[in-house]
Amino acid sequence: MRNRPQSLLKYLLAFSTVALVFAIAAQAQSALQQPATKSASSQPAPKRDLTGVWQYQGSGGADSMTADKDMPPMTPWAKAKFDAEKPGYGPRGAPGGNDPILQCDPIGFPRIMFMPTPHEFVQAPGRVLQFWEREHEWRPIWTDGRALPTDADPTWYGYAVGHWESDDTFFVESTGFNEKTWLGPTGFPHSEGMRVVERYHRVDHDTILYDMTVTDPMAYTKPIVAPQRILKLKPHEEIEEQPCVWSQENEFAQRIRNPATPKPVK
Amino acid sequence: MATHVAAQQPAPKPAPPAPKRDLSGLWHYEGTGASEPIAPDNLIPPMTPWAQARFDAERPGFGPRRAPGGNDPILQCDPMGFPRVMFLNTPFEFVQVAGRVIQFFEHEHEYRSIWTDGRPLPTDADPTWYGYAIGHWESDDTFVVESTGFRDSTWLGSSGYPHSENMRVIERYQRADHDTILYDITIIDPMAYTQPIVGPHRILKLRPRDEMVEEICVPSEEKSFADRVAEPAMQKPAR
Repeated sequence: MRNRPQSLLKYLLAFSTVALVFAIAAQAQSALQQPATKSASSQPAPKRDLTGVWQYQGSGGADSMTADKDMPPMTPWAKAKFDAEKPGYGPRGAPGGNDPILQCDPIGFPRIMFMPTPHEFVQAPGRVLQFWEREHEWRPIWTDGRALPTDADPTWYGYAVGHWESDDTFFVESTGFNEKTWLGPTGFPHSEGMRVVERYHRVDHDTILYDMTVTDPMAYTKPIVAPQRILKLKPHEEIEEQPCVWSQENEFAQRIRNPATPKPVK
Repeated sequence: MATHVAAQQPAPKPAPPAPKRDLSGLWHYEGTGASEPIAPDNLIPPMTPWAQARFDAERPGFGPRRAPGGNDPILQCDPMGFPRVMFLNTPFEFVQVAGRVIQFFEHEHEYRSIWTDGRPLPTDADPTWYGYAIGHWESDDTFVVESTGFRDSTWLGSSGYPHSENMRVIERYQRADHDTILYDITIIDPMAYTQPIVGPHRILKLRPRDEMVEEICVPSEEKSFADRVAEPAMQKPAR
């Protein structure tokens, strides 16, 4: 009888050891069978490749490039334009505003980057194409070595050139913007002299860290540096056709939006 | 004398041969120089009662029924849609990448993806302005495109011919030489037309040194143009 507790202890020890070994083996086996369960984001980024549909991780609504309080001081020219705008959002938001996108005027760049709908990169010879689901818009980012023009005709989406700074960071510069677009939903203006610099840093297979700086001395006394944003890959997705159709937008506004908009509180 | 004159006009050099399975580049339809219908009126087959009713209700700005105050949807910047966008005097561009050929239209800064990854044409595509297209190479020089999933809001041309959501479009782009595509289009839409509409053969020419410009229809500018200029300028129709 004196030996029974000792043998029981040995038995328990042996059993628990075996059980532990099995547990470890099972976990290892599981890891071998499903190497990606540690989330696809642990996969490294492919080199010099932004191909795919990407989703800006924002508020879920239309965001400004940076918070109003962080905007640098405006020049008198810009302040006059700003004061004349009647945005639908922000501290000055009011119904019946003059935000050009309400009548389906192009959203333009860079405002379109902070919309809650995805965009897609397609890489082709000599250019990277960027497609936005919203408005069914797109722009070519020329990668054929051409210089940024000094006299580009002003357009809604600008003229962009890009190059790879490294295997995982794509650098884009753009100019040639008309001044008809707002920088965001609260009505900040920009001039035709605006120049935008962006960095798309693909840190892993599913993640881009996105930085943007707007330089526009005619409108702002300092560059506008947007907070870094995250873009996430949406594999197996295709962007939809979503043009802004004024006749439908107008009909919607007449029937629903305008009657529903509350009167401003004074 | 005739020989002397002939010698002063050397024959133009033939274009180099077409690259295989490659439509890349900026192309321009050599038409009348203005926007055209998919086919002349005399090649449009009889309409069904459904289509005839729609046609009669439209008030185009061009053609024998033109009148001011028309309801052509493009006048208020509604998307022109496919295939109407193919018959303009502005160019389009093909860009070929893995799994698709992208066709960009200068007019309205529009585009469509022609999927070449082997997927079938869907039977239930959501109706869109530019449709859902798939394509494949029939031979080294002929690219065939089929498309479906079109909204019925667009006109087939500026004279107001309608189509239904069931419209199916088949196109052939045959690259005859480096600078030339012979283009054919057929529309099958039994809900609207009693027979297929077979467009006339068209020629597309390469514009090797051009790039498309951004041309977006801006509703606020289009409307103000219509108010100030287009409407007052239209003549009253003769009755």
